[in-house]
Amino acid sequence: MAGLSLKSVKKRFGNVEVVTGVDLTVENGEFLVFVGPSGCGKSTLLRMIAGLETVSEGRIEIGDKDVTHVDPAKRGIAMVFQTYALYPHMTVATNIGFPLEMAGLPQDEIDRKVAEAAKVLHLEPYLQRKPRELSGGQRQRVAIGRAIVRQPEVFLFDEPLSNLDAELRIQMRLEIARLHQELKSTMVYVTHDQVEAMTLATRIVVLRAGRIEQVGSPLDLYENPDNTFVAGFIGSPRMNFVKVRVVRVAEGFAFVSAEALGLSEIPVRLRGVEPESPPGDVTLGIRPEHFRDGGDGALSGIVSVVERLGGTSYVHAALNDGSQITVESRDPREHQVGRAHTFAFDPDSALLFGGDGKRL
Amino acid sequence: MKRTLPQSVALYSGLLLVFLIIGMPFWWVVSGSVKLPREIIARVPTMFPQSFTTQHFEKLFQSTDFPAYLVNSIGVALFSTIVTVALALPAAYAFFRMRFPGRNALYRLILLAYAFPTIVVLIPIYGLFAKVGLIDTRTSLVIVNIAFALPFSIWMMRSFLSTVPKEIEEAAIIDGAPARVILLRIMAPLIAPGIASVAIFTFIASWTEYLFASVLIVSDARRTVPVGFAGIIGQYQIDWGLLLAGATAATIPVVILFAFVGRWFVSGLTEGAVK
Repeated sequence: MAGLSLKSVKKRFGNVEVVTGVDLTVENGEFLVFVGPSGCGKSTLLRMIAGLETVSEGRIEIGDKDVTHVDPAKRGIAMVFQTYALYPHMTVATNIGFPLEMAGLPQDEIDRKVAEAAKVLHLEPYLQRKPRELSGGQRQRVAIGRAIVRQPEVFLFDEPLSNLDAELRIQMRLEIARLHQELKSTMVYVTHDQVEAMTLATRIVVLRAGRIEQVGSPLDLYENPDNTFVAGFIGSPRMNFVKVRVVRVAEGFAFVSAEALGLSEIPVRLRGVEPESPPGDVTLGIRPEHFRDGGDGALSGIVSVVERLGGTSYVHAALNDGSQITVESRDPREHQVGRAHTFAFDPDSALLFGGDGKRL
Repeated sequence: MKRTLPQSVALYSGLLLVFLIIGMPFWWVVSGSVKLPREIIARVPTMFPQSFTTQHFEKLFQSTDFPAYLVNSIGVALFSTIVTVALALPAAYAFFRMRFPGRNALYRLILLAYAFPTIVVLIPIYGLFAKVGLIDTRTSLVIVNIAFALPFSIWMMRSFLSTVPKEIEEAAIIDGAPARVILLRIMAPLIAPGIASVAIFTFIASWTEYLFASVLIVSDARRTVPVGFAGIIGQYQIDWGLLLAGATAATIPVVILFAFVGRWFVSGLTEGAVK
């Protein structure tokens, strides 16, 4: 087991820079998740760590060893692909044992390690089957089995659950979490699904356009996003953003108003240094679950859709300025489509972002 | 989608037509080879043999050099096929995966082999082979067959290689497999239909090759079926029974080959790999 560090890593395809200088250290035994929208460079970054993609600039170290130009097989990594990438003509046992065979291990040792991996992953009854005779979840477990037999220093997962249906995804997510607890290995995991990122990660790296937007623990990113991008990306349903104006700043609070929405001088706590003059037009961020009756702030809008999920419901409403908000509600019966409603919220949990999207 | 009656009729008539166009000449040759000579040349041709004899086959195998030609042809075609497949697979993989300067230009350039009519290259090849002492050897035919089958085989195999999902290869790279192992243990089994296609293409091309076989081979004992057989038929008089029996016998190795490699033509070899 070892940590991993990326130093000013860049990747260019022709003239296009898809990863624009990433600096990152992954501690030994950490479960790090790269998350971001399509094309943000997260998979490219993972593939560079794996050695499947060359590094245009910068340096990659695994366990203090520079592996920037080392063959993938000699980096001490194992990778699980989104598409499983099993060898279809080989049995499950041969698939799992293949890396050991390539390492030149004697057959009895291969058999023993394959049996161990199969036990951990509940694959024992399927060892003599071919991949096509397995379900999607079983196939992905075989792919994980092939990774764990190598006892790598770092596990790499490239969207491993994206090909599975919703139920299997939840099940496999738990299995991967369990595996991490058992093996205590360093794991780097790529996903575009922020729920996966939140549930699995010890730390999340949010990427956008080849650049790190923020790194932090799941709750840290959720509660303290650095900008509107991270605030909008982490959390489901996403954070509501409302255009407001700062009328004055005092004692670490910004007092915001939006006449059209019925907001007047609501105090919102500032995170950073208090600006000398009111920053003018800003964005107020409120998570759907932070709306609650009796809150000091209130937004009025017309209910457009009510999504009932059972225990909770999401009420979608159009505000007077045309923007849309989503509000979590315990009781959907109190909201009727087409009716006006005032949604109260707690200004203490609201966040403020400047005109450039950065947190204030 | 459910077919309507007229659509079904059109479909099956089309199939029947294609079947007749392909099957009729074959049936004519095979059925004719067991007819008595007088039935073969009868004024009213018979669709189904009214007589049965093996005399043409007996004559073919007992009083002509046909068995020797058959052995020569099988040898030349088999060697040509094996070597072509053995060369085309790594070459196609190199064109598919390796990065080297001039790769694309070279890849297109190899098709230039087909730009010249064979008759044009016959003379220089003859001169070349005469210099190295290859005239009147079966090796010369093997070399020529490979030279003409290889470019197309490389193209065909490369396109089969490109159907294998990239991740399978990448997984093998991470698992520590060297290029040779990736090619032989991972890629080759997955493109078995491609290898089978190339094998059949090369075998048939070698089996039916006439021009070079007629010029490069001088002695009767080394002739292949197409050339040797042309001599058997007779310059002034045609023995139709012998001709049909020879033609039938000549198709047998090809039929056996099809039966043998046909099982490789199964779809879904990569099923379960990436989905």
